[in-house]
Amino acid sequence: MNILNLLGGLAGMHLWAIATAAVVAAGCAVVGTLLVVRRMSLLGDAISHAVLPGIVVAVLLGGRPGGLWVLVGAVVAALLTVWLTQVLHEGVGMSEDAGAGVVFTTLFALGVVLITLAASRIDLDPSCVLYGILELVPFDTLLLGGVEVPRAFLTAGLVFLCLLGGVTLLWKEFLASAFDPAAAAAAGLPVAGLTTGLLAATALATVAGFEAVGAILVVAMLVVPAAAAELLVHRLHLVMGVAIALGVLGGIVGYLAAWQFNTSAAGMIAVVLGIEYALAVLFAPGHGILARAWAAAGLAWRVACEDRLAVQWRAEEGGERAAEAGVLNRLVCLWLRVSGRIAADGRLLPLGQTEAMLIVRSHRLWEAWLGRHAELPLDHLHPPAEWIEHHLGSEVRRRIAADVGQPAGDPHGRTIPPEG
Amino acid sequence: MTGPFPLPYNTLVVAGGMAAVGCAAGVVGCLGVLRRRSLAADAASHATLAGVALALAATGRRELPVLLAGGLLTAIGSLVVLVMLRRFTRTREDAATAIVLGVSFGLGITLLSGMTARGIPGSAGLEQFLLGQTAALTAADAMLLGCLSVAAVTLVWVGLKEVVLVAFDAPFAAASGWPVFAIDTALVALLAVMVVVGLPAAGAVLVTALLVIPPSAARQWTDRVATMLVLSGAFGLTAALVGVAISAAVPRLATGPVMVLAAAAIFAASFFLAPKRGVWARWRQQRELQQEWSRAGRDPTQAPTKAAGRSGP
Repeated sequence: MNILNLLGGLAGMHLWAIATAAVVAAGCAVVGTLLVVRRMSLLGDAISHAVLPGIVVAVLLGGRPGGLWVLVGAVVAALLTVWLTQVLHEGVGMSEDAGAGVVFTTLFALGVVLITLAASRIDLDPSCVLYGILELVPFDTLLLGGVEVPRAFLTAGLVFLCLLGGVTLLWKEFLASAFDPAAAAAAGLPVAGLTTGLLAATALATVAGFEAVGAILVVAMLVVPAAAAELLVHRLHLVMGVAIALGVLGGIVGYLAAWQFNTSAAGMIAVVLGIEYALAVLFAPGHGILARAWAAAGLAWRVACEDRLAVQWRAEEGGERAAEAGVLNRLVCLWLRVSGRIAADGRLLPLGQTEAMLIVRSHRLWEAWLGRHAELPLDHLHPPAEWIEHHLGSEVRRRIAADVGQPAGDPHGRTIPPEG
Repeated sequence: MTGPFPLPYNTLVVAGGMAAVGCAAGVVGCLGVLRRRSLAADAASHATLAGVALALAATGRRELPVLLAGGLLTAIGSLVVLVMLRRFTRTREDAATAIVLGVSFGLGITLLSGMTARGIPGSAGLEQFLLGQTAALTAADAMLLGCLSVAAVTLVWVGLKEVVLVAFDAPFAAASGWPVFAIDTALVALLAVMVVVGLPAAGAVLVTALLVIPPSAARQWTDRVATMLVLSGAFGLTAALVGVAISAAVPRLATGPVMVLAAAAIFAASFFLAPKRGVWARWRQQRELQQEWSRAGRDPTQAPTKAAGRSGP
C-alpha cells in the first residue's frame, strides 16, 4: 500500500511537471506568434537573455523566485534592453542586430556575474539559469484549496491567462499592427504602445518559463511553435491556436522523452519542438517541401504524357511509329495504354487522338502567333511552343486562332489540327 | 614559480593565448558586424555545444582539439541549416535564426545532461563550455588557440579587400565579377571558426559578444576599416586579459561573463567619449551650434539637432 502511494505520488509529480511545461509553452506560443509575424523573433531572443539581471536584482532585493517582484524586475530589464537597443540604433546608427547583440550579451553576463558573486545569498544556479530545472518544479508547492500546487505552475498559469486575456481584448489592434504597422499607425492605432505591451508580455512569458526551462530554451518555446504554425495555417487566430497546440504537445512529449532517456527535460522539449518544425517544413500542405515536390512531379508527369501523345500524333501524321526509349518514356506509355489512350501497338486510340490533337493545335497556333507578332526566325519558334502547349486552354486557343486569322498551317507549313 | 615572472608558466601562456583569441575575435568580428552576420554567428555558437558533446561521445577522448573539431562541425551544420531554411521555407530570417539557435542549444543540453546522467567519463566537466572557464586550459591548449587566432587574423589581412567590398556594396561587387557567394561563405566559415576558438574562453552562450562588442566599440572612434580593425583587436585583447585575470582571482566566476563585461565597459566609454560620434562630443557640438545661432541673432532652440557623423552602419 505504501509503495502504491509512493508510485501515485511520483506519477503526480511528473504530471505537475508536465502540466507546468505545457502551460509555459502555451504562454510562450501566444506571445511568440505575435513576435514571429511582426518579425521581432530576435527581440524575443534578446529579452530572454536580458531578463536575467532583472530577476537576480529582484531576488537580491528580497523578492522570491517566481513572485511578483521578480516579474516586475524581468519586465523592467526587458524594456531596458529594447530601449538601449533603440538608443544604439537611432542614436549612433548601429545596425539593430549588432545593437541587440551588445545589449543582451552584456545584460546576461551581468546577471551571471551577479549570481556567482551573490551565490551565498541567492537560491539560483548559473546552469539552472541556462536550462532550468523542470524536474524540481513539483517540490516547491503552495497549498491551494487543500491541494499542493507547484508555485511555478501557478505563476505560469496566471501569466498564460493574463496573456491570453490581453491578446483577446486587443485582438483587432494586434491583428492590424501585426501585418502593416505603418497603416495601423496611420489609422490611429497606438502601435508604439502595442509594441511596448508585446515586449512586456514577452518578458512575462520568459520569466514564467525561466524556472522551468531556463533563459535560452525559452527562445525555442517562443519562436519554434509559432514558426511551425505559420507554415501550416494562414489566418492569425489559427496560427496562434496551432502554435499553442504544438507548444503544449512539445512540452508533454519532450518531458516524457526526457524521462525515458534520462536527460534534461528542457533540452528535450526544445528538440521535440525542432522536430515538429522540421515535420511542418516537410509536410505542410501547399508550401511544404513534399507538397511542392508532389506538385512539381505531377506537372512533370502530365507534361511527359502529353509530349508522348503529341510525338505519336506527329509520327502518325507522317505515317510512321514513334519509338519507345528510356525508362520514363516506357512508364508513360504503360500508363497511356492502361488508361486507354494508345493501343498495344502504340497507335493512338480515339481518346488519345483527341488529346494529342489539342496539344499539337496549341503548339502550332502558338508558333503561328509568334511568327506573326514576335518576328522570330523560324528555328526559334519551336522551344517556346513546346513549353506553352501544356498550358493553353480552349478559350485562349480560340482567341489566338482569331488573332492570327484562323490559319490552316503553322509557319513551318504543317497543318494545324482542328479543335476536336 | 620559475623564471623571471611572478606568475606560473602555465598561467602566463594561457593569458597570452587568450589575449590572442580576444584580439582575433575583435578583428574577425569587425567583418561580421560590417556584413551584418553577427546573429548568424550567435546561432552557430549555441550549436557548438551539441558538437562538443557528440565529439566526446564518439571518440571518448576529452582533448580540446577533438572537442573543438566537433563544435566546428555542428556550428557549420547549423549555418547550412540556416541557409536552407531561408532558401526552402517561408520562415523569415529572424525566426529561422532563433529556431536554429534554440533547437541546437536544446540538443546540446539534452546530449550533455544525458551523458552526465549515464556517467560517461569526462562529460561532467563539459559544462565549462556553457560560460567559459580558462582556468581549466593547459598551456598546449592555449598555444593551439593562440596559433589559430593568429591564422585567423592573417586570413583577414589577406582577404580584407574582398570582404570589405562585399560588406559595403554586395551588388556592386557581384556586378564587377567578384564571387560574392564564395566570399560570403568564406567569411561565415571564418566566423564559425572564431566562435569555436573563443568557446573555451567565453562559452557557447556568450562567445558572440566577443565578436560583436569590440567591433561596435571601435566603430564609434573611426570611419576607416583599417583603424576599426586595429582598435577592435586591441579592445578584444584588453577584454580577454581582464576576463582571465578577474575570473582567476574570484573563485567559481566563469571567464566568459567577465570578458563580456570588460568589453561592455570599453563600449560604454567609447559610446560616451568618442570624438565626433560620442554622446559628449555631440552634446558639445550642439551647444556650439546653438551659441553660433544666438550670436547671429536667431532663436537657438531652432538650431538643427542632427550632429555630424551620425550616418553609416
